Amino acid sequence: MTGLAVDIVGLTKAFGGLTAVDDVTIQVPPRRIHGILGPNGAGKTTVLNMVSGFIQADSGRIDVFGQDVTRMQPFQIARRGVARTYQNIRLFPGLTVLETVVAGAYMQRSSTIAGAILMSPTERRERREMRERAAELLEKVGCRAPHSALAETLSYGDQRRVEIARALATNPKVLLLDEPTAGMNDVESEEVGRLLVELRELGLTLILIEHNMRLVEEFCETVSVMNSGALLAEGAPTWCLEQDEVKEAYFGKRSDAARIATLRRARRGPGGS
Amino acid sequence: MSTTAWMITLQFAGVNALFALAIYASLWTGVLSLAPVFFGAVSAFTFGYVAGTLGLSPFLGLLLGAALGAGLGALTAGLLIRLDSHYLAMATIAMVLIGRVLILNLPEYTGGATGTLVPGDLGTWAWLIGTLVVAAYVMARLAGSRFGLAADAVREDPAVAETLAISPRRIQFIGMIISGALGGVAGILQSSFLQYIGPDTFYTHLGFVTLAAVVLGGAFHWLGPIVGAIVFTILPELLREPMGEYDRVVTGVLLVLIIIYMPRGLVDVRRLRMVRSRWWRPKGGGAEPDGPDPRDPQPTVRAEVAS
Repeated sequence: MTGLAVDIVGLTKAFGGLTAVDDVTIQVPPRRIHGILGPNGAGKTTVLNMVSGFIQADSGRIDVFGQDVTRMQPFQIARRGVARTYQNIRLFPGLTVLETVVAGAYMQRSSTIAGAILMSPTERRERREMRERAAELLEKVGCRAPHSALAETLSYGDQRRVEIARALATNPKVLLLDEPTAGMNDVESEEVGRLLVELRELGLTLILIEHNMRLVEEFCETVSVMNSGALLAEGAPTWCLEQDEVKEAYFGKRSDAARIATLRRARRGPGGS
Repeated sequence: MSTTAWMITLQFAGVNALFALAIYASLWTGVLSLAPVFFGAVSAFTFGYVAGTLGLSPFLGLLLGAALGAGLGALTAGLLIRLDSHYLAMATIAMVLIGRVLILNLPEYTGGATGTLVPGDLGTWAWLIGTLVVAAYVMARLAGSRFGLAADAVREDPAVAETLAISPRRIQFIGMIISGALGGVAGILQSSFLQYIGPDTFYTHLGFVTLAAVVLGGAFHWLGPIVGAIVFTILPELLREPMGEYDRVVTGVLLVLIIIYMPRGLVDVRRLRMVRSRWWRPKGGGAEPDGPDPRDPQPTVRAEVAS
């Protein structure tokens, strides 16, 4: 027992010749909001996919609350309290907002096929409780859409909120968020940030991939910065973002900038202007 | 058509509806399977043999069909569920083909190529409607249940369903058992109406007709297979008189049109819900039906909702 919520050690994953994640170690204690930063293609989502069991790691180890989940099936990992959202929103077509969230509460329910067919009192009570709880969760994440609307027809921001509510319905201990504020305006992003803090107060551990630096600096306590599969820096967000390597990963090298300028001038040369 | 011909057509529409529901039960969990035709064949021939040698009350016959079908469904699921979608579908088609070979090669039990007689006690409207109502009731009850929502999730996105702690294999296993029970019952009723069954009674034709009924009626709601089976059993009969030889052309064209313009079938809850939410959407900056949220600070958010 390490006392850590999520303990990722030496995680490596290669796709063919490309090492998408290279010896990454990320350790997140309970009740922490931890950010994973890095430019596109840095391997952030691959790390998240390995934690939730979508992809099997080549080597390394992932522990969730002291339990090795590296080789587990995704549903077994989910049953150990890991829930997630997706970069490209993945809602179930055809389901309403409320149904989507209730579907997330699968493991919180005890009803059986026979109970459902006979519509036993327990089944009735459970269905009512599930609807109430789903409504509470939707309220908590700030989803303003009518509950009977098709989830896929909602605005981008509301779809993300429904996805978070669906993940919360599994009653997780660890919530993985893949770019939760992508496509949201500043006001909405701020709301998501406040939601993260609120969830942390309820005892959740949150790991999020985020590109909105203002949000990261305001709400993440620690971050890990990745580039080309490897870890560049970790620590407090403000400190990490000041590191030269991190700046280079995001904005490119100074020397490169000079070279590009020279190249441009050279190309313009004969053509004039 | 004469009244008797109508009655017979409607009876077969009812039995096809049961087969279609059986196919729907597994399709609901994302498994395309024609195995219900095989389950129907096994239970029908078993019923014929047992009723012929020992005698069997009608109700026990139905129970036998359901139990046998469910058991075979579990067995099939245990063996095949690990296959990927289209390989699984092909394996279940192979089961239907193997069924015919078995029937031909077990003449002591099945009558072989000549077929066998089955008592017609269950071949009445009361039994048919009763069974259909029970089957529809079961499916309707399951629709909003824990299993039903999990089945929807597994069908739409098994990977996401897994991250909600749902085991797709388990859900598909249950789906196959329900599918098996319905297929078994459908087989018993089919044989009771025909009173004579042979190697071609439960063959690929039945499988494809009922699968078409599910797809065209709507594979996303329990009402779909029933509507589909009734429409596509009656329609060819209706067209036969005015169209003569060409009735199949018309049904074919109709199928293509439905697939193009109503890809989710005749019974499409998703489209209904879309239409409904469009009606509910406020036209001129009005509040959402749930009431305006006092915390909603910016009109920009509204604009996004409306777009």
